Amino acid sequence: MSLSDTATPLPRDRKAARDLLQKQAKSVLVHGVILFLVALMLLPLFYMLMMSFKTGTEIAQDPLGLPNSLYWGNYMNALASMGYVRSVANSLGITISVIIVVVLVGAMAAYPLARIPNRASRVIVMIMALGLATPNFVTITPIYVIFRDLGLLDSYLGIVLAFAALKLPLAVFFYTGFIAAIPMELEEAARLDNCTNWQVFWHVIRPMLAPVTATLSLFVMLMVWNDFTYPLLLLTDKDKFTVMIAVYRFVGATGIDPTMLFPAAVLGSLPLLILFAVFQRQIVSGATAGAVK
Amino acid sequence: MRSRKSLYLFTIPALLVIAVFFVYPIGLTLQMSFTNYSGIGVAETVGWKNYDRIFSRSRYLDEIKITLWFTVIVVTALTVTGLFFAAMLHRLPLIRNFARAALYTPAMMSFVVVGYIWQFIYSPLNGGLNVALRQIGLGALEQNWLGDPAIALYAVAATQIWMFSGFTCAIFLAGFAGIPEEINEAGRLEGASSWQRFRYLELPLLGPSFTVSIILTTIGTLKTFELPYILTKGGPDGATRTLSIEIIDNLFGQYKFGFASALSIIMLIVVLAVAFVQNKVLRDRENVT
Repeated sequence: MSLSDTATPLPRDRKAARDLLQKQAKSVLVHGVILFLVALMLLPLFYMLMMSFKTGTEIAQDPLGLPNSLYWGNYMNALASMGYVRSVANSLGITISVIIVVVLVGAMAAYPLARIPNRASRVIVMIMALGLATPNFVTITPIYVIFRDLGLLDSYLGIVLAFAALKLPLAVFFYTGFIAAIPMELEEAARLDNCTNWQVFWHVIRPMLAPVTATLSLFVMLMVWNDFTYPLLLLTDKDKFTVMIAVYRFVGATGIDPTMLFPAAVLGSLPLLILFAVFQRQIVSGATAGAVK
Repeated sequence: MRSRKSLYLFTIPALLVIAVFFVYPIGLTLQMSFTNYSGIGVAETVGWKNYDRIFSRSRYLDEIKITLWFTVIVVTALTVTGLFFAAMLHRLPLIRNFARAALYTPAMMSFVVVGYIWQFIYSPLNGGLNVALRQIGLGALEQNWLGDPAIALYAVAATQIWMFSGFTCAIFLAGFAGIPEEINEAGRLEGASSWQRFRYLELPLLGPSFTVSIILTTIGTLKTFELPYILTKGGPDGATRTLSIEIIDNLFGQYKFGFASALSIIMLIVVLAVAFVQNKVLRDRENVT
């Protein structure tokens, strides 16, 4: 900090005052332009919300206008016929089951991989990377055939396993990195007390994994809530639909009727958007951390 | 150290899952791709017939071209928009977090919802886009966005770009955050303009962000299925028929499991080849700059 710093609040002469003013005007302008562009990007979401409150006549007469009043009838109709509550319950149940499987199986596998840095561990990590890199369209035909032969089509167990497999490699990577950073001393103390491997894992390692588990749970929730391909192929029973497949079938059946489409779209995205509003920092940095690794 | 070796028992459930859901299916796909398996009965081995068919009909070659072209458009646009927003927001700490979250919001939504919203935005009569164009006096630009084979692919691409700009922006912002403040400070003292600092100081240091952003968006876009499936069902006239749509169609429209498997193998080869080349080129570039 020197006296000649241009950000001095009390400029000495008129030229400096003019420069400062110019600089501030430019800054306001740049902020304005960027905020305008961001608003433009959000316009389709605003459009969705606005349309969901308009009656059919309003949409036909003034397709872009604001709704005259908040008309809840569209929501009532959509709620009555899309099986929303049931599909939310399904999505939640599937999410929780997938989290349990992914967290347990992933953390267990990561423990030896983080603690024994040898060739065998590297090979296993490579196999996991293969899972991460395989596009699911390459495995979708055989998975369908396997599920059909095992009677797993249209079952909660089947969809939970399929989803869990998709996120397992990521879980192993996350946990391996995290466990490797946990000091060995804690474990050694437990081993001196004659704890078995399992006891060490369960009582010493597992309780420390909460931060990774939280990030992972958000990812699983996002996937189960939003994924379209797996439930489309693996579920045909209306009672087992996840939210998005319920939205898809419902809107498809109404022939893209806007008074059905938009409330269904809002209902379908709302829970995750609320989640995002609360955890946006964790979700964005979690996603980019996952990407950068 | 017997107990140490036995620790590997802990990896068995994970290896089992990987074996059942990745290793075995890839093998099975490869094997089925040489058969005419139709989902029931016995599969007859047909040799290279499925692959012959893919490479001798313009329909399938066109689909590969469409998939690649779509990827080029989307990845290029996502890199540019993400980098632009990140470069600006990096300089605007006041609105950085808010704007980052706002831009990221569409990526939190499902393809199903995004697909349906944009289908209505693009619809020819009362759709938001055409009405908006009319109201601002640009009625001449009205299009049948999803119904015109010359435009449909770009309309679908625009939707995908809208959805994931916030994602690439977040990746680049993380890259900017990793640039030591002293470097920019030095640039400022030398009197470098904002653009000069971006072009000569920041851009060369963002190599790893480019690599991550481009590879991830490429892999994601090469298997594009949901948006064209919902927006256009691959139409009009096959203009948005990506490889993934063809796979699903063969699988569940026509029960040609053998042929769908061959298409899947082609897709795997395309994805691996592109990822390999990109990885090599981008990493080499990182090392040079």
